[in-house]
Amino acid sequence: MKDLGAPALFRLQQMQKKKRPRKPNPHLGPPLKCADRLREIMTRHYYLSRFVKGAKPVAWVTSGAPVELLRVFDFYTVYPENHGALCGAQKLGPEICSKAEDRGYHPDLCSYARIDLGHAFSGKTPAGRLPRPDLLFCCNNICQTVLYWYKELSHYWDVPLIVFDTPFNFKDIQESDIRYMVSQFEEMIPRLEKISGRKFSDKRFKKIISLGSEASLTWGRVLATMKHSPAPMTIFDAFVHMAPVVSLRGLPVSLDYYRILLEELEDRVEKGIGAIAKEEKRLMWDNIAVWFKLRDWSLLFAERGFNFVAATYTNAWAETIHYLNPESPFESMARAYSLVILNNNMDHRLKLMEGMIRDYRIDGLVILSLRSCKPYSVGQYDIRRLLGERLGVKTLVIEADMTDFRTFSEEQIRTRLEAFFEQLEE
Amino acid sequence: MTRKEYLVKQKEMGRHLLGVFPAQYPKEILWAMNIVPAEIWDPPLEITLANAHLQPTICSVVKLGMELILQRKCDILDGFLFPHTCDSIQNLASVINDYMKTEKPCYFFYHPKAPYGAAGRDFYRNHLKELIGSLEKQFGPLDPDTLKQRIHQGQKISALLTELYDLRAQGELNITNEEFYSMIRHGEYLFPDDFIPELEAFLSQNKGQGIKGQARVVLSGVLPNPPEILTLLDDLGVRVAHDDFLIGSRRLLVPANDLDDPFENLTESYFAMPPCSTKGSSIGERAEYLFRLVDATGAKGVIFNVVKFCEPEWFDIPNLKEELKKKGISTLSLDTELNQGLSGQMVTRVEAFVEMIG
Repeated sequence: MKDLGAPALFRLQQMQKKKRPRKPNPHLGPPLKCADRLREIMTRHYYLSRFVKGAKPVAWVTSGAPVELLRVFDFYTVYPENHGALCGAQKLGPEICSKAEDRGYHPDLCSYARIDLGHAFSGKTPAGRLPRPDLLFCCNNICQTVLYWYKELSHYWDVPLIVFDTPFNFKDIQESDIRYMVSQFEEMIPRLEKISGRKFSDKRFKKIISLGSEASLTWGRVLATMKHSPAPMTIFDAFVHMAPVVSLRGLPVSLDYYRILLEELEDRVEKGIGAIAKEEKRLMWDNIAVWFKLRDWSLLFAERGFNFVAATYTNAWAETIHYLNPESPFESMARAYSLVILNNNMDHRLKLMEGMIRDYRIDGLVILSLRSCKPYSVGQYDIRRLLGERLGVKTLVIEADMTDFRTFSEEQIRTRLEAFFEQLEE
Repeated sequence: MTRKEYLVKQKEMGRHLLGVFPAQYPKEILWAMNIVPAEIWDPPLEITLANAHLQPTICSVVKLGMELILQRKCDILDGFLFPHTCDSIQNLASVINDYMKTEKPCYFFYHPKAPYGAAGRDFYRNHLKELIGSLEKQFGPLDPDTLKQRIHQGQKISALLTELYDLRAQGELNITNEEFYSMIRHGEYLFPDDFIPELEAFLSQNKGQGIKGQARVVLSGVLPNPPEILTLLDDLGVRVAHDDFLIGSRRLLVPANDLDDPFENLTESYFAMPPCSTKGSSIGERAEYLFRLVDATGAKGVIFNVVKFCEPEWFDIPNLKEELKKKGISTLSLDTELNQGLSGQMVTRVEAFVEMIG
């Protein structure tokens, strides 16, 4: 799609904004230079989405869906979960969730879903405007919730829904599972051709697979720089910088971005520049970010010399990507997408976390028990117990939501964090 | 005979016992392998031990199932079967298999999610064979003729249950709501050889004119628990004319087919089941199904009796209520915890609802 003058408008907008320079925080290292480029990419993505209707077919896509297939048909993709995170970071969660609750959606339901439905009913968004979808594309490899949520949207807007159903990997993935997933891809193609008005191209598909795979592998290398001490970035940075691998996977911009980010991080490693001023302890995070607390907590931990250097969440977009192979695109995509952490058994998750704790030399683990996310949360209490028994890692479990701060107990969590800090400092 | 006494007796008779979590699974295969499926939905326990493993925001179906295991009330069982019903049951299965080391084999049964294509049918058919393959390692080979016989018994049960539901819908059963579900739920652990004669006897004993002029409602949700909802409706003179329970019509009223191949037969049965939130059925299909139940029974309202924190159910309710409202059908939704009774507020809401539709 042509840029429609977007970059010039951004620059104009930036000039109009009277930004007071932020005073450098003595506990943090120098900010990442790439952050400006990231802001530009994501702003552009949301900006273009306002005008895309009619120019391109629009698909709303779940974060773990095999988007490479949609790219072949030139769909403009919108990620409601990414939009939910954006709303969460801007502390708009409760306001937009309440629009869905007014329509009868229970406050116990996933807050990403409530934000998305609330936005659909009210149009409320910090992104200006999101284009209405021509297609809803849902993959249940991250949860079954997305299936329930997308069928609500499908009903509300009378828009076709395509579900990519990934059998849960209870023990070992079976050939019949792969066959099922490959057959689903084959069944999707004629529907995607019809909805998009574009023909499937095997050559293009393979090229996109290569591009997506390389971007995710580069994202993996970005994360791996945090194995160094001091780590050149924190997981709070990674939560923000993961946006392109989630939302723009399979597009050249995503790969280009991670190449420059990796270059900057490698340079920082070489020069011994850390993300925080004094890295005393190295921590790991389990689960989605608490978006409305991102900045507060990044400072809170940095003040004490605690740096989050790994997270199961950010790792999820790199973990299985090595399965992707342009020579067997459907089969490899079935493996890459069905073996992700949330669609894999608990034994796998435990081993993965053990490996990360060793590789990143983790001193402490913070587990976020998320009322919105059952597949991430059910089993976490046992994970805490087992990791404690096996590795003796100090662990804190906190209960919160990623965007809806109405259920957030500031004082209680603060007390628990203080106790955890004392434990780590012993 | 209590459920526990029955299961002990089955064990003494040489049958195997498998604890089965909600909701949909090919029970005919288990019967054919001389396995009694003992379904675990809402055991009457106080949740204490499970709280150390599961968050407060997890539904009580999942918590009670884990509590049953932790309280060592499953020692008599030979293993567990976990159908893939929702995220919480999926993870519960994996936690029990991988972390809790119950020393009992755990089996997992994935069923495809809607909207279905041909791939879903092929997968389901193959998956039935894979389930048999894994069960055979513990319970010995499956005899194909026995499977056919058990499929016939399954069809017989469906036919009897359909007759029972139809009679109730027409007001031709002389029983209370509580008695109806008590009978239906015997099927959660009785072997078909015992359930069929019990159902037949129940039908012949209770056919007859019900109370005339009763207000009628359709119940929807996972299961009729807390059971006080049924006694309250009985006390208010309201007949549950039909249900859209996961434990009830959604999986019990399976249209018959005469396919000779047992795998084709079971596959056809699965895909012919009424729509269900846990399978990803569309709002349109679910609303149509509810309209049919209301039309067929003359019910004046639908009560959604939903287990707290049950995501698949709660997501569908706003749109279902909206669709029902468009047709002039009144609705009420209750947010309930299993075995916790009905609060005074809930009782008042149900009473007000009954007055309104009365």
